[in-house]
Amino acid sequence: MNQETTSESIAKGRTLGAFRCLNCFVRISPPKGATTYKCPHCGFEWRVSWPLPDLPRIRGPVWEVNRRLAEEAIAKKKKGKK
Amino acid sequence: MALNRKIAYINLTTGEIETKPIPLEIRKMFLGGRGLDMYLMYNHIKPGIDPLGPDNVALVSAGLLVGTLASASARTHVAGKSPLTGFVGSTNMGGFFAPEMRWAGFDHLVIKGKAEKPVYLWIHNGEIEIRDGSSIWGKTVQETQEIIREELGDSDVKILTIGIAGENLVRYANVMTELKNAGGRSGMGALLGSKNLKAIAARGTMDIKIAHPSEALEYNRKIIRQITSAKVSQTQGRLGTNFIWGATNTQGLVRVRNFQLNQLEDSDDIEPEKLDEFNIGMTGCFGCQVHCRGKYIIPSGPYAGVYAEGPEYTSIGAWAGEPGCRNPLTILVGNHLVNSYGLDTLETGSMIAWAMELYEEGILTSKDTDGLDLRFGNDEAVIEMVHRIANRKGLGDILAEGPLRAAKKIGKNSIKYSIQVKGMSNLHSDERPTPALALGIATGSRGSDHLRSRPAIDLYHLPEPVLRKIYSQPVPYDGPLSSDYRDYEGKPWQVFWHEMCYEAVDCLGICKYHTTFLGATLPNFEEWSKLLYYNTGLEMSPLDIWTVAERCYNIERLFNIREGLTRKDDWLSDRYFDEPTTVGIPGVRNKTLDREKFKKMIDEYYEHHGWDENGVPRPETLRRLGIDKEPSHML
Ligand code: SF4
Repeated sequence: MNQETTSESIAKGRTLGAFRCLNCFVRISPPKGATTYKCPHCGFEWRVSWPLPDLPRIRGPVWEVNRRLAEEAIAKKKKGKK
Repeated sequence: MALNRKIAYINLTTGEIETKPIPLEIRKMFLGGRGLDMYLMYNHIKPGIDPLGPDNVALVSAGLLVGTLASASARTHVAGKSPLTGFVGSTNMGGFFAPEMRWAGFDHLVIKGKAEKPVYLWIHNGEIEIRDGSSIWGKTVQETQEIIREELGDSDVKILTIGIAGENLVRYANVMTELKNAGGRSGMGALLGSKNLKAIAARGTMDIKIAHPSEALEYNRKIIRQITSAKVSQTQGRLGTNFIWGATNTQGLVRVRNFQLNQLEDSDDIEPEKLDEFNIGMTGCFGCQVHCRGKYIIPSGPYAGVYAEGPEYTSIGAWAGEPGCRNPLTILVGNHLVNSYGLDTLETGSMIAWAMELYEEGILTSKDTDGLDLRFGNDEAVIEMVHRIANRKGLGDILAEGPLRAAKKIGKNSIKYSIQVKGMSNLHSDERPTPALALGIATGSRGSDHLRSRPAIDLYHLPEPVLRKIYSQPVPYDGPLSSDYRDYEGKPWQVFWHEMCYEAVDCLGICKYHTTFLGATLPNFEEWSKLLYYNTGLEMSPLDIWTVAERCYNIERLFNIREGLTRKDDWLSDRYFDEPTTVGIPGVRNKTLDREKFKKMIDEYYEHHGWDENGVPRPETLRRLGIDKEPSHML
């Protein structure tokens, strides 16, 4: 009964207080209680909520910031292709 | 014993009822719930019958672990030939009905023929009666349950019912239990309606003997810890499933304005945390600790003061994203109405959004809509269309027929705008940037559907070693796997793996949120092997359970092929390949699916299944699974 299953072994890698940036997918840790947080890796800015005190969640984008960043990123990519 | 519940054959034309034990040999091959239903469906439904005629057979069942000490063992399954697609009809719902049916002595009902006038079934401690249903015909889902409980003088009776949509044979009508447990997709409500069968009531006190009670209890405690410590379960317990829509919209992976956009921008008013402001508490299904179902009271408007449950992520898709609306009240009211009428949220929302695009394209005019302004973003028109579909009024009568039949009636190449597979509309999600999810909906045995095989964890960017651990058991796999959801490589195996996982969980009758659907750390084959043994005494290895799933999935495939399915039915709307995405994070912008790569994925997916290039199970596959002689009529 006590033999560890695959799912249990994966659970050991769980990180509390962190989530993956939904743009660059790096795991990031907003300060406790923060309501917005800029990803230190890609600069995307997220609105953050806390379903539980140590469980942050991306509530949604900061629309105007992320729209601009996305458009810049696409423009850069297009320029690079020319 | 959990293995001694019976099967009942009920003929509504003649009134005959016969009950039989379920042989152990059959149990080991198909377990129960969806799996055994699929076997019964293949054996009892003659090819080519009219799904709304008396020859169709309605199957109602409980999974094999339902009502035991296994966590969230709550699921009821209903099956038959789908009135929507003409292929496999199959639906699964939570709540409390299936445990009660087991405690009343039955695991499977095989319902044939058609009653002369409305009836309901009353199942209690080994007995089944066919009762007059005239007092409940024409009633909503909620009213029906109240009337039956009053009539039977027992407030603990659990009831499975159809609403007015099922009576009106809306081809995507649901079967419902309690306020909002919905057996959606594939029109099983219309199937019951076609038989004049309004409801099934159950009440039982026949205990299920647990094979190894103290081990079962102890092991379940462990499973509960595993489930409740998962971040996804914790989020779900707070915000319901709405967080799914929030997370996918944040990236740009949802359908908006039918299929014109892939993100509903500036949607703060309808995001999960905003909807949570209307929430007055959470509730759940039998044996569940997650409690993902919200409770709310409609705050204003014509339905002010009505108590309802939900909404779910699918409701945000159906009542906000797809029709391009941003009003939380539309979500709360839309959710309440479909649950009262017994309509499939996903299909209803998709049909309305499709009609809205047709209206804006000039294919439908105000003459067709009887003056209703069906432009995107018109909240009132969306709600009005729900009434019209359920009651089959005007354009609603056409939309009630589902995408293929409606497109035929409307003509003018309207099918081009429909996001459907095998005649079933897709969920609110946009799979253009996610080939794995696209493959899942293209090949799903009941049509465009996320609950047959969606590898939702593919969206989490899990590291390759973690993916390798998950996807290499119980069957070894050393092929490619990729953390990037935009890749094509390795994804057919993931889809195949999840297909087996979801088939197995549906055979056991456990909620999908308690397996590797949204969370990588949730139980699957290894845990189920132990749960089965402690609760039922059945000794089956994780691989044995996988093999049962394969067997059942192949029976589904055989059923569909017998009904005319070919490889070309495992395909998506041209829009997935021709119209690029426009918004969202940079990684999902300007994305279409690549036709050639997608074809190759389908080839690989067939190969994993042991099917030929046309998607037909090879004789050796059927032999390996012991189903080469089907239909075998063993039950
Ligand atoms: S997770 Fe939700 S749907 Fe599943 S059993 Fe629990 S309450 Fe029901």
